Parts: sequence; structure tokens; C-alpha cells
Amino acid sequence: MHEVYLVIAISVLIGVLVLLKRVISGPTLMDRILAVNVIGTKTIVLLALVGFMAERPGFFLDIALAYALINFIATIAILKYLEARGRPKTADEEDDA
Amino acid sequence: MTPSLIVSYVGRRAIPFIQLYALYVLGHGEDGPGGGFQGGVIFASSFVLLVLIAGWARARKDAPESIVDPLTATGCLLYAGIGFICILLGGAYLEYEAFAGANATAAAKQHAHHFALIGIELGVMITVTASMVTLYFEMSRPPEERNAPEDGSGDSDGEGADA
Repeated sequence: MHEVYLVIAISVLIGVLVLLKRVISGPTLMDRILAVNVIGTKTIVLLALVGFMAERPGFFLDIALAYALINFIATIAILKYLEARGRPKTADEEDDA
Repeated sequence: MTPSLIVSYVGRRAIPFIQLYALYVLGHGEDGPGGGFQGGVIFASSFVLLVLIAGWARARKDAPESIVDPLTATGCLLYAGIGFICILLGGAYLEYEAFAGANATAAAKQHAHHFALIGIELGVMITVTASMVTLYFEMSRPPEERNAPEDGSGDSDGEGADA
């Protein structure tokens, strides 16, 4: 059964790598924020899988749950900050400026 | 600037569950990840979420200085108090077994240990929550609240943090 968890974990990690490319290359700020948010969601799945691999699911699911709550607040905080600073320009508007 | 309907709806419903989860983390500190400090930080994060969805002034009304500041010391008092009660009962500082009495059974001693441990963890949680909430409120204080007296009469329309 461990092999199944391992394969799923590795495929989730490949997904994280793909998203990391999106975080680095952009092109807009919103793409980056969304990609970081999805990486956070994947981390929760990864934590649950590691918990089952370590045969202590209760222990790791607690951490995953805390991570989910904090990740939610962090994303709202970043978006709130951007909203207060002014809406980020779209690619078209940046061309006009 | 009105907060998004979705954000405020989801946030309002998430806050009670975050606080409940903080208490779960506190209670399971012995045989899982967590304890007083982690539970306190998670509890304080619910107040951060409250500031984000309701605005600074509205959130400060739910956690006023007159309540949060004394709580910072109350947690320390609870921790140290349990420690000193152990001395008064004839044990060492924070020797929880003293609660069970001098010639108690092993099971009773373990029982006393559990309850006293939860007590000091609760003290840690209260102090950490109050400190974190105070830190966050002071760091995010909007400019128009900076010199205002703390009586809740300032910005009462809940838009203070957005200006």
C-alpha cells in the first residue's frame, strides 16, 4: 500500500513543480497568487499522504488541517493588501501606460 | 471599499471553526501535535481573519484593550499560580503529582498530572492569544486611529482598515 501513496505523492510533487514555474514566470501578479494558493492546497494533500506513509495519520492530519486554515487567511491577507494598494494593472493597461 | 460578499460570508463561518480547532489543538497537546502555544496562535489567527473581513475598528470592539491586555497577564498568573500551589501542597514547583496528595495511588497521581498540565497549557494559550492579538492590532492600526482614545467611539462603521 505504501507504493500507492508514494506514487501519488510524487505526482503531486510534479504538480507543485509545474506550478512553481507559473509562480516564477507570472505573467501577472494574480497568476502568481493563484499558483501559490494551489501549491498550499497540494501541500495539504502531501501532508495527509506523508501521514499515511508514516502510519500516524491522526498526527499529520492535524497539521494539515491547521495548514489549511492558515493558508486561507494568508491568501485573503495578500489580496486585501493588494486591494488597499490599488488594483494591479492588466497586461493591456500596462501597454497603454 | 466594501469587503467582498464571498470573503465576508466564508470568513464569518470559518472563524468559529478556527477557534474550535484551536481548543482541539490545546486539548490534544499531550498525544498529538500542538499544545498551548500552537493553540493560542491558531486562536489569534481567527482575530486576524476578523480584522480582514470586518475592518480594524469593528474587530477592536470584539477584542477591546480593556479585556485583551489583562488577559496577557492572566495566563502568566494561571501558569505560575498552579506552580506555586504545587509548592503549597508540599511538592516542588510545577510538580503536578502534589495535587493528588502525599499518599495517593499511581492512577490518582496520573489524573492530577493530566489536569494540572491542561491548566498550565490553558495559561500559555491565554497569554499567547492575547499577545498575538495585541501585536496584530497595534501593527495594523490605521492612521486615523493612531491618536484616538480607546473608547470605541472612533470609526464605528467598520471601514477603518480600508481607508
